[in-house]
Amino acid sequence: MRQLSRRDALVLGASGAALTVTGWSTRASAAAKEAAEQIDKFTGGKTAEKGKVSIELPEIAENGNTVPLSVTVDAPMTADNYVSEILVVADGNPNPGVATFHLSPLAGKAEASTRIRLATTQNIIAVAKTSKGEFFTNQKLVKVTIGGCGG
Amino acid sequence: MAEKPRLKIPKEAKKGEVIEIKTLLPHVMESGQRKDKDGKPIARKIINKFACEFNGKPVFTANMEPAIAANPYIQFHAKVEESGTFKFTWTDDDGTVTTAEEKITVS
Amino acid sequence: MTRGGILTGTAAIALLVGVVVLAGGPIASAQSKKEVPLDTKGEASERPWKRYAGWPTRDESKYNTLGNLATPPAPKQPRKITGPITGDAKKGAELAADRNRGGSCLACHVMGPAGGANLPGNVAPDLSEIGNAGREDEWLFNYIYDARVYNPDTVMPPWGSHGFFNDQDINDMVAFLKTLKSPAAFKTTLDDPTKRPPPVEKRDNLDPIENPGMWAVDKAQELWKQKSSIGFSCNTCHSDPQTTFKTWAASMPKWEPRLNKVLGVEEFVTRHAKATTGANWLMETDDNLAMSVYLRFLANGTPIQVDTSSAEAKAAIERGKELSHRKVGQLNMACTDCHGIVANHWIRGQWLGEPKGQYDHFPTWRTSLLKVWDIRQRFQWCQVNIRADELPPDAKEYGDLELYLASQNEGLKLSVPGIRH
Repeated sequence: MRQLSRRDALVLGASGAALTVTGWSTRASAAAKEAAEQIDKFTGGKTAEKGKVSIELPEIAENGNTVPLSVTVDAPMTADNYVSEILVVADGNPNPGVATFHLSPLAGKAEASTRIRLATTQNIIAVAKTSKGEFFTNQKLVKVTIGGCGG
Repeated sequence: MAEKPRLKIPKEAKKGEVIEIKTLLPHVMESGQRKDKDGKPIARKIINKFACEFNGKPVFTANMEPAIAANPYIQFHAKVEESGTFKFTWTDDDGTVTTAEEKITVS
Repeated sequence: MTRGGILTGTAAIALLVGVVVLAGGPIASAQSKKEVPLDTKGEASERPWKRYAGWPTRDESKYNTLGNLATPPAPKQPRKITGPITGDAKKGAELAADRNRGGSCLACHVMGPAGGANLPGNVAPDLSEIGNAGREDEWLFNYIYDARVYNPDTVMPPWGSHGFFNDQDINDMVAFLKTLKSPAAFKTTLDDPTKRPPPVEKRDNLDPIENPGMWAVDKAQELWKQKSSIGFSCNTCHSDPQTTFKTWAASMPKWEPRLNKVLGVEEFVTRHAKATTGANWLMETDDNLAMSVYLRFLANGTPIQVDTSSAEAKAAIERGKELSHRKVGQLNMACTDCHGIVANHWIRGQWLGEPKGQYDHFPTWRTSLLKVWDIRQRFQWCQVNIRADELPPDAKEYGDLELYLASQNEGLKLSVPGIRH
């Protein structure tokens, strides 16, 4: 059997990152694949460790146009050890990239909040990079609600 | 009558304190996914970068994609060791840069 | 030189003097019988009224609106169905989940596996086991075709007699219903409407960083001082809006005898601006919305208290109440169906609220549309989605309805601009 590439492993959740993909339509899996590729590029092929990253998102978004998102990394922010980047991707959006946050030790806290657009119910995946070259990750499923009559 | 960027940042802080900064910029963040009434795609036009510096040193930067909602809201933190000026810049796809500044007294 | 509706030189100055005197102390009470200037000649919104671009373009003139009765009468008898119904259950399942056919059955019913049991509503009974309920084919057919033959007050739209589905479609759906014999399997707890927690609005709508609608307040403050083509601004007569309008908006809407209708804040702004500064702020334009937001913002915290005791107000409220009970549109629904009989239930993934709590935050920023909406646009949109033709925003029927709605919101404190989806 073919050895799973790191990219495949990320998508199928075989290396402790425990990433799952919802929806198996062609479009959904294309977006999920691209999300995995962006993560791969960010980590330089390394596998991110699940943990330390917490994602705050509503369980049901009342619409996909503006969904509040907060990412916090439980890691120090000292001059010699700090969270330097946080990547956020949405595995069901036509363009999965959401944002990359860059932090210096002056940020004081490894946290970023914003409001995002979601095309459909999907996973938001955050990957944090530290100045020491470590990677941490987590993900959260957001259900985008369906309107009653169009109102 | 252009809408102004909104900033929420304390005017004073203690040395070493980690303060919270909230920013909101009026901007349609045209994703490039929408079509006009004739079915033609509306070109992408977003704020692709937000940067915050304190006394000239980088604190926090966000590289943004079209998935950031209209009227981009960015909240982050800054550890202040001295008094000075925060400078905020927002860069549009078309190269336009919007800037704002806020002073803080640190004791 | 005269321009229709706009005051000329000396007349304008005379009025100006009169109004300035009004704003003063003891003299004000003696002069307070002077009427507030209002343009009574023109319309307060675009004519001819054109539906907003991007809204559904259906012509629903065959059905009731709040301004016009047209809906054909309900059938008196169920249609006779001879013999068992055969249909394509698979197709029936697809039809039941098709949102383009008036919202889909899932808007109101849990229906077993239809639509992947993805956030169904619970306005109406769970049909997941209806195949075991002992219902006759004729009953199932007619309930979909036109449920009014069994329940004249039903909220169920007349899917057949109002042309949503043809007989074959309904046969297919009946065939599908007959297969439903076990509870729906939900993918997550949130999909189950009986377990989904009702939404709670926690955002601070008056925080300018939380609510882009607050930019309307800034805009209005600029408009307030903006001189019109004849050299006047709101500020000319109202130099201290924070004091002058501290409670005014909470007393609106109000009966206006010169126009023989109820005037809301938005229409008042149009007519008063036209008659004083000459500014042309038609209803539902950005300028009008900004001013309407601002006038209520100035009265935030004031409990809504509208006139409900004068003869005209009582009559308007009675009319508004009747209008709220009128079945309109191809879907044949009344305000009181969703916001009364089945309030506090899920319509698909959205929560239906009661009238109380539905008015104190208008105009509101809408996050799904990136725009401020006033209450009249909200009425219009509800109508269009029930597949009824909307009325122009200044329709007298909307005034009656708004006064009725305001009376149901008495005591609630204004908090404008709101923020909602």
